[in-house]
Amino acid sequence: MGNCLKINSSDDISLLRGSESVHRQNSGPLPMFQNEQYQQIFFPSPSTSIGHAPIAGHSQLSEEDQVKIAKRIGLMQHLPIGTYDGSSKKSRECVICMAEFCVDEAVRYLPCMHIYHVKCIDDWLMRSLTCPSCLEPVDAALLTSYETT
Amino acid sequence: MSSLPRRIIKETQRLMQEPVPGINAIPDENNARYFHVIVTGPNDSPFEGGVFKLELFLPEDYPMSAPKVRFITKIYHPNIDRLGRICLDVLKDKWSPALQIRTILLSIQALLSAPNPDDPLANDVAELWKVNEAEAIRNAREWTQKYAVED
Repeated sequence: MGNCLKINSSDDISLLRGSESVHRQNSGPLPMFQNEQYQQIFFPSPSTSIGHAPIAGHSQLSEEDQVKIAKRIGLMQHLPIGTYDGSSKKSRECVICMAEFCVDEAVRYLPCMHIYHVKCIDDWLMRSLTCPSCLEPVDAALLTSYETT
Repeated sequence: MSSLPRRIIKETQRLMQEPVPGINAIPDENNARYFHVIVTGPNDSPFEGGVFKLELFLPEDYPMSAPKVRFITKIYHPNIDRLGRICLDVLKDKWSPALQIRTILLSIQALLSAPNPDDPLANDVAELWKVNEAEAIRNAREWTQKYAVED
């Protein structure tokens, strides 16, 4: 074991990248692609509630707001993501976009076990940490630990 | 203008296919986000017999934010002001994207059956509703006859 890494050791850059990605995968509960999704969601969507002018970037948000957003993203990352398996017990339609779930599509599970498309529910959770269907707070325990620290 | 989200198309189709009794919502021919709404006054309410016109608009970030709804027909109600603005929790802080045009209009219909003078928007109306409910109901009936019944 470990031979594969040694073979690549002549190329410093690839080794560096390899070790970095291994490190990231181990450090967080979520794979990298989800961070990219967040970028797509956060910068375009909060602008709708902020004002008419197009937002050049997040630099216009106050530091306090940025911390708030970061905390919320942190909280949301604790909500598990799975793939829709088409089982009959679950809802067939995402109530937010009203499109039917496709098998193997990424869905986020809330603690109440309601499921939504990741993109749909994340957009909502940035506004309100409640389940759209049952209005349950997403996770009171997690929430308090995040808000107070 | 950006293309119409599939959700709005679906909701509109379902509203047409399975209309709610006493409620009629038709999209404007030039703007699919603007609906011409008619709500009939519920039975056993002072609004019975009335036909109330409302306008409903789906904002750009719908369903992340609530539809905007306003009475066009004048109505004597403690939770509806003289501009037709409606004080209803699901239109404000209790909005959830699981709600729909249909459920919002049902809530408004229910508000006509159950005025809530403790959470007023039209203060003079709410005040009378609390101190002299019989007179307030009489006023509501008169206004219904005067403004919401077509000859």
